[in-house]
Amino acid sequence: MNRTTTAVQISSLKDFLVFMRSELKPKGKILTPFNVITGSVILLGAVLILYRFFMGLGSVVHSSSEYPWGIWIGFIVMVGVAFAGGAYVTAFIVYVLRGEKYHSIVRMAVLNGFLAYVFYAGAILLDLGRWWNIANPLIGNRFGVNSVLFLVAWHFLLYMLAQLVEISPAFAEWLGLKKARKFLASLTLGAVIAGVTLSTLHQSGLGALFLMAKWKIHPLWYTEFIPLLFFVSSIYAGLSVVIFIGTVSFRVFEKDRIDEEYRRSWDDIIIDLGNACAITMFVYFFLQILVLVHGKHWSLLNTGMGYWYLTELIGLLLIPGFLFSWGVKSGNPAPIRIAAVLTMIGVIINRVDYSIIAYKWYLPLSERYIPSWMEVVITLAIVFTMVWVFIWIVNRVPILKKPPQWAIEQEQEEESVERAVALGLQLGLTMADGGSSIDKEKK
Amino acid sequence: MDGFTYVDIFATKGIEYLLVISGLLFFAYFWRFLSRPAVAVYREYANVFPAISDWFHLPLEGMYFHQGHSWAKPEGDNVVRVGIDDFAQKLVGKIDAIKLPQVGSQVSQGEKAWSLQVGSKSIDMLSPVDGKILDINESLLNSPESIGKDPYGQSWLMKVQAPRVSANLKNLLSGGLARKWMEEVREKLLARMNYNLGAVSQDGGVPVDGIAKNIDRERWDEIVREFLLVS
Amino acid sequence: MGIDRRTFLKCLGTGVALAAPGCFSLPGKLEAAGVAANKEFMGVLVDTTRCVGCRSCELACAEAHNLPVPDVGDASAFEKVRDTSEKQWTLVNRYKTEKGEIFAKKQCMHCNQPGCVAACPVKAMEKREEGPVTWDTNCMGCRYCMVSCPFDIPKFEHHSAAPKLQKCNLCWERLQKGEKPACVEACPAEALTFGARRNLIEEANRRIYKNSGEYASHIYGEHEAGGTGYLYLSSVPFEQIGFRTDLGTTAYPEYTKGFLYSVPVILLLWPAFLSGVSAITKRKDKVRSEEGGKR
Ligand code: SF4
Ligand code: SF4
Repeated sequence: MNRTTTAVQISSLKDFLVFMRSELKPKGKILTPFNVITGSVILLGAVLILYRFFMGLGSVVHSSSEYPWGIWIGFIVMVGVAFAGGAYVTAFIVYVLRGEKYHSIVRMAVLNGFLAYVFYAGAILLDLGRWWNIANPLIGNRFGVNSVLFLVAWHFLLYMLAQLVEISPAFAEWLGLKKARKFLASLTLGAVIAGVTLSTLHQSGLGALFLMAKWKIHPLWYTEFIPLLFFVSSIYAGLSVVIFIGTVSFRVFEKDRIDEEYRRSWDDIIIDLGNACAITMFVYFFLQILVLVHGKHWSLLNTGMGYWYLTELIGLLLIPGFLFSWGVKSGNPAPIRIAAVLTMIGVIINRVDYSIIAYKWYLPLSERYIPSWMEVVITLAIVFTMVWVFIWIVNRVPILKKPPQWAIEQEQEEESVERAVALGLQLGLTMADGGSSIDKEKK
Repeated sequence: MDGFTYVDIFATKGIEYLLVISGLLFFAYFWRFLSRPAVAVYREYANVFPAISDWFHLPLEGMYFHQGHSWAKPEGDNVVRVGIDDFAQKLVGKIDAIKLPQVGSQVSQGEKAWSLQVGSKSIDMLSPVDGKILDINESLLNSPESIGKDPYGQSWLMKVQAPRVSANLKNLLSGGLARKWMEEVREKLLARMNYNLGAVSQDGGVPVDGIAKNIDRERWDEIVREFLLVS
Repeated sequence: MGIDRRTFLKCLGTGVALAAPGCFSLPGKLEAAGVAANKEFMGVLVDTTRCVGCRSCELACAEAHNLPVPDVGDASAFEKVRDTSEKQWTLVNRYKTEKGEIFAKKQCMHCNQPGCVAACPVKAMEKREEGPVTWDTNCMGCRYCMVSCPFDIPKFEHHSAAPKLQKCNLCWERLQKGEKPACVEACPAEALTFGARRNLIEEANRRIYKNSGEYASHIYGEHEAGGTGYLYLSSVPFEQIGFRTDLGTTAYPEYTKGFLYSVPVILLLWPAFLSGVSAITKRKDKVRSEEGGKR
């Protein structure tokens, strides 16, 4: 049987250390092809990262004063944050709208979002030239309140905390901390509300970063509505990632890491998620058209960049949108999975467009930014490390499987109390008359 | 902004953010303030409910339960001690008399074996095992109301010579199954109570006249019979 | 700041007034009390019709800021249009135009409402009330200022383990001592004029009117990107001497204003809205379970 359901009892630091020692051991085979390949990339990446810190940014990245931001910001941060959007969307559905049906995926989505943020914050540290000053906007070594990036930094930090709170009950369950779990679970709704708010601003804030790069970004991409476009696209981007990770997870993880019931409900959920994607993509498409017409840029469509724009719009937005709708109508998850992957590619391209491809599109190829191999290796190393940590946690913490029995009981107790409160209030409460009968008995 | 002197167009940003943060804190407080009554009531209920869970606590060591809320405890040599569970007595309330069968007579599993006298009403209960009665708890007959004090120990009802004891026990609930069953009973009760928590005093103790009467004063015996499976 | 602003501006005014007669014919304007008291922007007027391409300003700048000294005698430098770099805050480019070769100096424009300042999350980039835009060491090296500068000026030391953002600071350290910028002082052709921005615009307009036909009737920097501290005169349209003429007159920070102002609003509205939604779904839940309870 899996060990996490047998309640762990941790009463002292020693217990904790013993427990952690046993949990730290790898589970399952170590030398799989996946592990070997990703492991060597991570090792190489780690060496390069050290090199970067000692020798300066330019020794590792393709440096150019024309392109202040390379793939660490343009890909890891921009795309990573969009992909983490699944966390706030599912949390909103499950905790605010109370879509109980989707409970089985919310932890996976939030964990993914949380790790994404942690690792992309790491990528920012790498990319900052004067990284030792990273805390300055937070500790007030001058608050640049006029800066979009200042807001983004704060939202980054706060949202990371909110996600930590959202996911923490799972860790309390893993460690068998009953009291802590109760307390942490009581914070969830607040954290979700804060998280959705922060995400709204954070997703659109990343878009707003480009508002002052007015002539540097191709007019088909530059619009004053970038923040809105970024926000809306983060919804379907995040959901597509949830579809992707869910599909992969339910296949690759061993049986005892996954709850059978969760697995069975997955095909049903995937269709609903596809539905949500189809609708947001529909809206996004019309927003794009609206922006295009508003900017009067249609004449640019018949240029090289215009074709690229159309590829993005039709190939990576309309077609997956259509696939989503088809899958939903026919109740078939297969096209939805394909659509999710296409959508992810589309979002990657869209974000990279803003920071790299459509950024100074007019420069000849020889002056354009092309990432160096070292940048790519470090990028892959970061992504792989995140995957490793994700797997490590799913193998131990109840993410894809039901919480241990005691946690479910705790939840039910809370619920019945809440239900009782709600009903009691509605029935005009028997407290008064019941109370008097109690008094009588006591006398 | 005439272009000759510096005007910080974001001069008030910092104050705005501080305002918003304090606005949010105030909002959180305000929200709680508006839902205050609910919070207060919540606290009371939150106190009561864990106590309610105590009612459903079962001593699982060597005990077997019949779904009609009686228990059997094998004591070797085919002798089984029999009693009623805590929940049954709390449901019924103050018991005026217990009518036990004669020593030497037969009882059989799932059949009516003894009855509880409450006011003018008499509630039958089912025997958990088959067999011949060896002994009955005389002291309980003299003070039936004391049954609530130690329902699984001192307040046993009778000893039965049960020749088919192992077959009998197979039909009873123990361990995890018993706990699960009790959980269902609890759910069922909560549903029946319709959240009429007047049935419960604030420390989780039970009104002396029993849970059932507090749910429905007229037809309480029907409720009891439903739970004890004798309706 | 060791020296208080008032005295500083007084000497600044005097310094300029002494140098003024040779530069332009509005003597006395600069030390006018109004300029000093209101802390008006100081700036530089570059008259490209006077520039001879001697690159003395490049040399003076490098010396004043401990930058690598350029070989100003090397004429091959003009062969292609160069960009300022982390090693060179200012430089002179040669352009072939309809009116022959024209030299134009390039450096930070010291915008009235700088994009770089609005971008900086730690206020390392700062617009001084006296006009210069300066950089400070609390910078994180995020390079957002580079993205946001309409003239693409800030340059980053990619190859240093402790990189700095390098760009012209209008000799802020010299201004505080009451001296003029090094490049202005070094210019032998009087192509550079240092003064209050208001007066520089007047002077530029005067030159355009007085020598009609000699100048393109536009002062570059008067309105570009909301106005800049550096102002340019030219005999040919500005796109011919390497200037962007499509920047518009909106100050760059205005582009983010809408977003920045919606942030507090969303911060207030969203939590309230979400709490409301959650309260409603909760009530629905309650009604549902109540019905379940009665059944
Ligand atoms: S030109 Fe660029 S670096 Fe200079 S003040 Fe303007 S925005 Fe800042
Ligand atoms: S690189 Fe430095 S000066 Fe430029 S915006 Fe970032 S923190 Fe400010």
